Amino acid sequence: MMVEAILLVACLGVGAYAGLLKKQLASSQSRVVQGAAELEKMQQSQAQVIHTTKLASLGQMIAGVAHEMNTPIGFVKSNVEVVRELLGEHREIVAKCLKGFETMLAVDLTNPQMHEPMRRALAKVRAALAGDERLRDGDELLKDSVDGLVQIANLVKNLKGFARVDRDGMDLLDLNECIESALTIAGHQLRDRIEVVRELGQLPKIHGVASQINQVLLNLITNAAQAMGDSGTLTLVSRRSGDQVEIDVGDTGGGIPDEVLPKIFDPFFTTKPVGEGTGLGLSIVHKIVQSHGGTIKVRTAPKKGSTFTISFPVDHALLKQPA
Amino acid sequence: MSEPRIKVLCIDDESRILRALKALFRDMDVHVTTDPKEAIRWAGEFDIDVVVCDQRMPKMQGIEVLREIRIAHPRAMRILLTGYADLGAVLGSVNEGEVFRYINKPWDNAELRETVQLAAKIARDAPVVQDKAMDDVSREMARREVGILVIEDDPEVQQRMREILQPHYQVRFASSPERALQVLEKHETGVVISETAGQHGDFTALIKALKQYHPHIATVVVTDRANANVAIDLINEGQVFRLLLKPVRMGSCRLSVDAAVGRYWQLKQNPSATRRYIVAPRAESQLPSWLAGSLMQRIKLLPSRLLGLARAH
Repeated sequence: MMVEAILLVACLGVGAYAGLLKKQLASSQSRVVQGAAELEKMQQSQAQVIHTTKLASLGQMIAGVAHEMNTPIGFVKSNVEVVRELLGEHREIVAKCLKGFETMLAVDLTNPQMHEPMRRALAKVRAALAGDERLRDGDELLKDSVDGLVQIANLVKNLKGFARVDRDGMDLLDLNECIESALTIAGHQLRDRIEVVRELGQLPKIHGVASQINQVLLNLITNAAQAMGDSGTLTLVSRRSGDQVEIDVGDTGGGIPDEVLPKIFDPFFTTKPVGEGTGLGLSIVHKIVQSHGGTIKVRTAPKKGSTFTISFPVDHALLKQPA
Repeated sequence: MSEPRIKVLCIDDESRILRALKALFRDMDVHVTTDPKEAIRWAGEFDIDVVVCDQRMPKMQGIEVLREIRIAHPRAMRILLTGYADLGAVLGSVNEGEVFRYINKPWDNAELRETVQLAAKIARDAPVVQDKAMDDVSREMARREVGILVIEDDPEVQQRMREILQPHYQVRFASSPERALQVLEKHETGVVISETAGQHGDFTALIKALKQYHPHIATVVVTDRANANVAIDLINEGQVFRLLLKPVRMGSCRLSVDAAVGRYWQLKQNPSATRRYIVAPRAESQLPSWLAGSLMQRIKLLPSRLLGLARAH
């Protein structure tokens, strides 16, 4: 019998997505924190924490994508060099054939004795050209190279879209696109050991800060990957549920122990060895989801795995607009 | 007659990499596969000279493939070609795969071709040494004749090494390159155990220089300054025999040192096999200044009677 622990954390009122984090912190904390100076200090340190972990996930992302690019860059670079060599060799063959033609053009064709040697010489030239497979091989290498360059371009596009360094404000987001983007970025951690299952439904767009939502997804995916060790299945589900949009990030890892569960969203809580985790991952996830007016839940079962569900309110005003 | 064509086996889960390598090695007999199991079978079947293998593959990691090939077809020289420089892979490629070179993607065509050509020549010319445990007689002889040098300036680690190794071997300690050389000049030394660096600087340059002139001496690097790039250089320029992380554990340390002594002993009987462990010479200008002058000269001139090779010639 599967024992499910359900933990519901951070449930804010529907439609209360408050936009920027700073505003959010100010309104919710003013009730508890006495001094204005203290509040100011806390806000600064929270903003700092978000900024730092954003840098950390940027670093992780860049390292991942850089590694991912080494393979296509490897064969594209090699192929281009090889094709150049092949063309050089082919040019030599063509030059030899041309030289043969020169000689033949100088031959006196009125002399019937020359016909047979001429025929043989022409056959030789034809064989040299027809037998040279360099152009065909080179063509195949160039085709692979174009594929490789498209792959590199896609990685760069994802990186740009993911970081959104150019526009760091509120946007209309397609969460399915965010999921794909985060999966690409986390690719090097998943590849060769974890199977990814996607069940992505039709979703209305939501209002949000793309780089922050991407950070949430990357964090959840990375945690899931780490929970699974050598192999497992990562399941990503997206769906509309009433006036909410929900995303599940599920792993088949060991689950979260009972004594750990209440602390997972606490800042600086970590189960990783000293120096490996900041302990800020899930607390940041929580903060960002909260600042978008959303909620985060986790269901976990020992030896079966955990599923984090984040949900965001659908903006009804948006639904009325033509797509 | 020209030399028979070099036989290369390439393994990668990305078929476009395989096509690129096939084109790059177009003057050789190239076998390519995305299936590690097939590769392990092919190595012996096609009597392969050089294996070029990717590290991260879905069915099996590159170092596992290379370890299996090392057992099944030890004659082949092994090269790891990878886009990921993670420490785990680097350690594995030393300790399990015993790779000849660790090459990063994207590679340099001319360099990779040269490496494969060199490896093929070695695979054909140099005999393979067996990785079997030493018999009692050899072990006793090795114990009497062969010293172990530990280059390490942390007294605690020195003490730990003494506890682990003193009962079985003649162990000498040096906390600086200068002192290390004094030991090497006085005693036959089969195994050098070293940190990558001490308080007063880098030890890796010394290990590499020693390997360049005396490749039969087995080096075991034991470090807490683990870094993938340093480790890769220790493979390519230092042909390090084992790479262990601190804290020093009795079991793995003993196993590694026993195997290192065994390797040295084998090479001592069989000097022509030493070519399998050569490194590319480094230009004098690349050496750190403390090594470039007289120390380097002393390394070159280590007396051959102490290098254990005198008797074999």
